[in-house]
Amino acid sequence: MFQVAGGRALPVARLLAPRGGARVESVRGRKSRSDPPARSKEGRIKVPPPVDPVEMVVLKERFTEYQLIMRALRLEFKEEVLRKKYEEETGSLAEERARQEAQEHQILMAWNDAENLRMLKLRQLRVQKETEEAEHMKQEVILQREQEMQTFIQEKEQEILQLQEEAKNFITLENLDERIEAALDNPRNYNYAIDREGRVVRRTVLN
Amino acid sequence: MPMKGRFPIRRTLEYLQKGDLIFKNQVKIMTVNYNTSGELSEGARKFVFFNIPQIQYANPWVQLVMFKNMTPSPFLKFYLNDGEQVLVDVEGKDHQRIMQHVKKILGKSEEVLHIEALAKMQESNPANFGPKKYCLKECICEVEGQVPCPGTTPLPKELTGKYRTRMAASQE
Repeated sequence: MFQVAGGRALPVARLLAPRGGARVESVRGRKSRSDPPARSKEGRIKVPPPVDPVEMVVLKERFTEYQLIMRALRLEFKEEVLRKKYEEETGSLAEERARQEAQEHQILMAWNDAENLRMLKLRQLRVQKETEEAEHMKQEVILQREQEMQTFIQEKEQEILQLQEEAKNFITLENLDERIEAALDNPRNYNYAIDREGRVVRRTVLN
Repeated sequence: MPMKGRFPIRRTLEYLQKGDLIFKNQVKIMTVNYNTSGELSEGARKFVFFNIPQIQYANPWVQLVMFKNMTPSPFLKFYLNDGEQVLVDVEGKDHQRIMQHVKKILGKSEEVLHIEALAKMQESNPANFGPKKYCLKECICEVEGQVPCPGTTPLPKELTGKYRTRMAASQE
């Protein structure tokens, strides 16, 4: 069977097919490879459709012209696309843009560095303040400790003096006898009542 | 049923799409060093908690790395294409200020974004027909309301080329 390309309206005869030719393409169809051809097809020689040479010449000319134009158009468009792409990436405008961007980047980086410096200064101030504060606190703590020690010592001295004073009135082995005598001579009456307001009531008499 | 986790709004599409920090093409890696405690690191912590999801959503091809408690003060570091490193000190700054700062130095500006959006729209021009890779539709027969493809349903006789030529020829 001939293979007619679907969609092509113009007849395109195969020039390669020889006269009385047997070399024509066939399509598989219903039968498989190993099936023998039908008996009705025995002795059949397939011939391609006849070609009018005049028409063929005219057609060939027209076709070559047409294909030339189409190929040229296609290549033109391809070239345009490639050129656009090239311009986009490595053209003069692109260089300008790249330079501009680099410049802007430089400016922004400089600004960022300035910000960082500012933060650094702030941080240094802060750290300095913090160290000073710490020193101050330490000094204060030391002072506090000193003062506490001083008060403690004062209190203890007071107690010692107090004790010394009282020691004069202590009962020792020497004044034991005199003290006993004195105590027996001066009986003291502890039998009194007292209320919350401090009013004392002495009623019982000692004898 | 309520959403799970603290501030689950961070995981909503609406919140993520609100993020408007799109990095320039040269930025490849962003590193955040911050501390988990301390007043000065508070801004950085908030930045990591609230803004990082937005940034990653807008820049899926930029690597974001977080480091905790490695340095006494918090900072951001950006690694660009040509090996340049950009350091941003964020000690004591508010998370919104950090965002503005980063947007100013390394974010794409409004005009650039606008131009890119226009270019993208041009690509998806519905008036262009061609291969699926470049255009939305291959043939006008695919558009609703147009004449269907003659490959599937045959055209009415009056619209076919051969009938019209025959009529024109018979009239002459």
